[in-house]
Amino acid sequence: MTMTTYRSEAPPARDGFGQLLRAEWTKFRTVRGWVIGLVAAALVIVLIGLFGAAASNFSCAGPEGRSCAASTPPVGPDGEPVNDRFYLAHQSLSGDGSITARLTSLTTVSSSDNQKTEPEPWTKAGIIIKESTTPGSAYAALAVTGGHGVRMQHNYTGDIAGTVSTKPSWLRLTRSGDTITGHESTDGTDWHLVGTVSLPGLPSTVRAGLFAASPHHEVITESFVSTSATSYPTLATAEFDRIDLQGTWPDTGWTGDSIGDRAGGGPGGGAEPPVGFDETGDGVTVSGAGNIAPIVAGRGGLGKTIESSLVGAFAGLIAVIVVAATFMTSEYRRGLIRTSLAASPRRGRVLAAKAVVIGAVTFVTGLAAAVIAVPLVGAVERDKGHFMFPVPTATEVRVVVGTAALLAVAAVFSLAVGTVLRRSAGAVTVVIVAIVLPYILAIASVLPSGPSDWLLRVTPAAAFAVQQSVPEYAQVTASYAPADGYFPLTPLAGFAVLCGYTALALGVATFVLRRRDA
Amino acid sequence: MKEALHVEWTKLRTVAGTAWLLAAVVLLTVALGVAASAVVSCSGLGCGQDPAKISLTGIAFGQAVVAVLAVLAVGGEYSTGMIRVTFAAIPRRSTVLAAKALVVSGLVSVAGAAAVLVSVLAGRIILPGNGFTEAHGHATLSLADGPVLRAAVGSVLYLVLVGLLALGVATAVRDAAAAIGVVLGLLYLFPIVAAVVSDPDWFKRLQRISPMTAGLAVQATTGVGSLPVSPWAGLGVLGLWAAGALVVGGSLLRWRDA
Amino acid sequence: MEATIEVTGLRKRFGPTVALDGMTFTVTPGKVTGFVGPNGAGKSTTMRAILGLDSVDAGHALVGGRPYRTLRHPLRQVGSLLDAGALQPARTGRNHLLWLAHSQGLGARRVDEVVGQVGLASAIRRRAGSYSLGMRQRLGIAAALLGDPPVLVLDEPVNGMDPEGIRWMRGFLRSLAAEGRAVLVSSHLMSELQDTADHVVIVGRGKVIADVSVADLIESASGDRITLLTTARTQAMTVLAHAGATVAVTGADTLTVSGLSGERVVAVLGENAVPFSEVSAHRASLEEAYMELTRDAVEFHAAVAEEAAR
Repeated sequence: MTMTTYRSEAPPARDGFGQLLRAEWTKFRTVRGWVIGLVAAALVIVLIGLFGAAASNFSCAGPEGRSCAASTPPVGPDGEPVNDRFYLAHQSLSGDGSITARLTSLTTVSSSDNQKTEPEPWTKAGIIIKESTTPGSAYAALAVTGGHGVRMQHNYTGDIAGTVSTKPSWLRLTRSGDTITGHESTDGTDWHLVGTVSLPGLPSTVRAGLFAASPHHEVITESFVSTSATSYPTLATAEFDRIDLQGTWPDTGWTGDSIGDRAGGGPGGGAEPPVGFDETGDGVTVSGAGNIAPIVAGRGGLGKTIESSLVGAFAGLIAVIVVAATFMTSEYRRGLIRTSLAASPRRGRVLAAKAVVIGAVTFVTGLAAAVIAVPLVGAVERDKGHFMFPVPTATEVRVVVGTAALLAVAAVFSLAVGTVLRRSAGAVTVVIVAIVLPYILAIASVLPSGPSDWLLRVTPAAAFAVQQSVPEYAQVTASYAPADGYFPLTPLAGFAVLCGYTALALGVATFVLRRRDA
Repeated sequence: MKEALHVEWTKLRTVAGTAWLLAAVVLLTVALGVAASAVVSCSGLGCGQDPAKISLTGIAFGQAVVAVLAVLAVGGEYSTGMIRVTFAAIPRRSTVLAAKALVVSGLVSVAGAAAVLVSVLAGRIILPGNGFTEAHGHATLSLADGPVLRAAVGSVLYLVLVGLLALGVATAVRDAAAAIGVVLGLLYLFPIVAAVVSDPDWFKRLQRISPMTAGLAVQATTGVGSLPVSPWAGLGVLGLWAAGALVVGGSLLRWRDA
Repeated sequence: MEATIEVTGLRKRFGPTVALDGMTFTVTPGKVTGFVGPNGAGKSTTMRAILGLDSVDAGHALVGGRPYRTLRHPLRQVGSLLDAGALQPARTGRNHLLWLAHSQGLGARRVDEVVGQVGLASAIRRRAGSYSLGMRQRLGIAAALLGDPPVLVLDEPVNGMDPEGIRWMRGFLRSLAAEGRAVLVSSHLMSELQDTADHVVIVGRGKVIADVSVADLIESASGDRITLLTTARTQAMTVLAHAGATVAVTGADTLTVSGLSGERVVAVLGENAVPFSEVSAHRASLEEAYMELTRDAVEFHAAVAEEAAR
């Protein structure tokens, strides 16, 4: 019997990855549980964010029922919230000119008992050129610090180290247009340049003079249920002499002002240390408390950061991990993987298509949730009187997109682990424990901040660094622990750690999928 | 009931995964406990640390494996359809659930006791080297010490209750992956959300109802007064969660078609 | 592409167990080829190897001259049904076919065509988890037909079907083969292949015991045997045995005679005046032929016994 071979009349089709993507997308969207799972992920991201905001009451009683002054801190020239509280003995300087002074001593007392204490590392006193006495105005200062030698600082975030660390220290600031130059010297004859900074838009008449500031002394005690901070104000006293003013100084003497000292005081409350200045012969003694620095976000600190509105991402993450793991393990549960691999024998491509689909749908879901959550939660927080740390648009975009990307990569990680383990419960547990547990151990456990930092360097939880919106400032003493929202790695590096784990898991998954009998 | 117990015991015993999971409970709990004991240091008098709590840090890890074990005891039957065979053999469904609960509790308490004993022993050996000495106000960890014994026994009970919570959730949800997601979400999310809540009342409230934070209060041996909830009451909170999950799971089990 | 399956020297072990031990056969177009053997003989493993799902230690399986894993749109060349239960229960039957169609660059229209072909149109929009076993088999056949392939590989496709479904399946498989397709159908029951298969590959313990056309198999099994209807059974047996025949009792009035031609039987009975009502050439059933064929295959029986003992 002769028989001609059957020929299909179906038109030939192009062979492409696109078809595989389309098939996997059809697979995904036709299982209601997965779609519901992702919608639920988006919902919990928004709802938990809203809950976090709703359950955060800001109570800071100002005098006579006024809202607490500290809830609206001054804002520096670059838009960041700042501390601008210090004592200033000043005169006005018209046009270009310079101020030179020798600092002969810098001492501090604790205001709680008026006992002499070691200066705080960032207790500072020196000379300053400032736009005005309004808190938050532009400035450049050259100061001797308690523990970091001579520093030239400007506009709250700028910090340049000098070389002199012995006293007496000679300091000189020279204004020329918008440019301020700082010099230091140990003897008043041999000067070196510390730095040159630009204060754009500085008016022709500015305030210039001598200042002193000393931040609160803070001791943070961590125990497993809570973190308690002991904090008391300190007062710095600096003695200056050999004051030399060049240029046009129309005032006849020094005026003393406690900058940023508003009635009702700061969050510390209580007794404020006795600040002021005193002219002694050719010298001036200035006593001041406070700090000239950016405000640092953290536990118990002021205000809310953008990432606090995305705390729901953890709940969303768990939902996403469950969906992504099941997207793969359900293939194994009833042998559907054989149908899938018979339809697309190139197994690596099947895994790749699944990864792209689950990654993409998770990214879109996460992005939608984050785009809704950030402004919505922010509005609730502002409405409740919280101060929101302003962040540059680029940072905001990075946090929002980064959160979506974190969810997407975690989904791919979960998919890969599901491929290797073939069991959903195991895969879900491994991924949740790998990503969420290190974070919890880092923020809410007995672990001190050193090991906590390491956990957030070497585990997939490092990726939450993409949510950190506020930078650490070397010139501000504060708790920069993970629990305060500070991660040991940069956003990109932290995210790369998760990507690394995911790449590794995908590699193993591809290997076992290729080698194993389906 | 006796037959049901025997059936569940045989089922769980004959699954290869059970032994591995129990071993993992012990291993991971001890590993994290030892790591925590090794990195924490006490530099002076009243360093605010709790040695018992430190040595038992691993419970936070071990509980995830306990949850998997309990979820698989139910979820495994649903994924294969064996639940129908089980119900054909023992038609009283609440008896089946009760038997499962007892068997899981038994296995978890054995593994939990081993994990806790080794963890405390490791803490006893390691911690004095890190400054947890008499001079700094810390007695050597000993189960003869009332609060330490409470922390140890409480930790074992904590694991058992986590197992029961997972069993209840898995019975209600019937899907292993979803169940483990719900259980780990309940355990792990509260501390994270509590961290962003700045209202002290809400913070306390969240800590009091959080199954993990409240439940682990039983591990505290120092600063008991500053806890959001007293040790045994905290364990009771987790007990309520577990009981609630079992009641919901049991009711659904009775009403639903198998 | 040539609609053939060539299996050459497949060997595979699972630990100490030999699953495939030099499995070799060819499936040609235009025929339904039965793939028969007891449970555990290696049928499913061979089929999975043909589909590139299981790796083998030695040998190769080619579809149209190429390894399955090199095919670009495999379902357009080989349709397969391995396990009708391999479904995501939450997905509807139609969506199951839809994703498969998308993976081969086919559209929803082709899905509706195959659904009509297998007679599942009324249930196709229901959750696959709610299907009966027979409906799942039909869905599986629809999936195998999606790419309109010249080669079909079906593992126990009538499992769980009702008699009406089995009849439908037989006709359907024959019509597919009549279009010039190569159809490989496995079964552990020879009787299931009666009236369906043109050719059978009989396997046991991981290798081929017989690879014959059904016509030849039945003919050889029928051999020169004669069916004799007689009321004088004992007398007939005596005289025929005396004449050198082998006689077996197969019924109350029925004897099966071998070793003598029909004419000689009639002659011998006539010479001895033994009454008889009918002498006819014996026609074996496929099942009988199978038993006949495998009677001497020692290792085959060992395999069957081993299976039974398990």
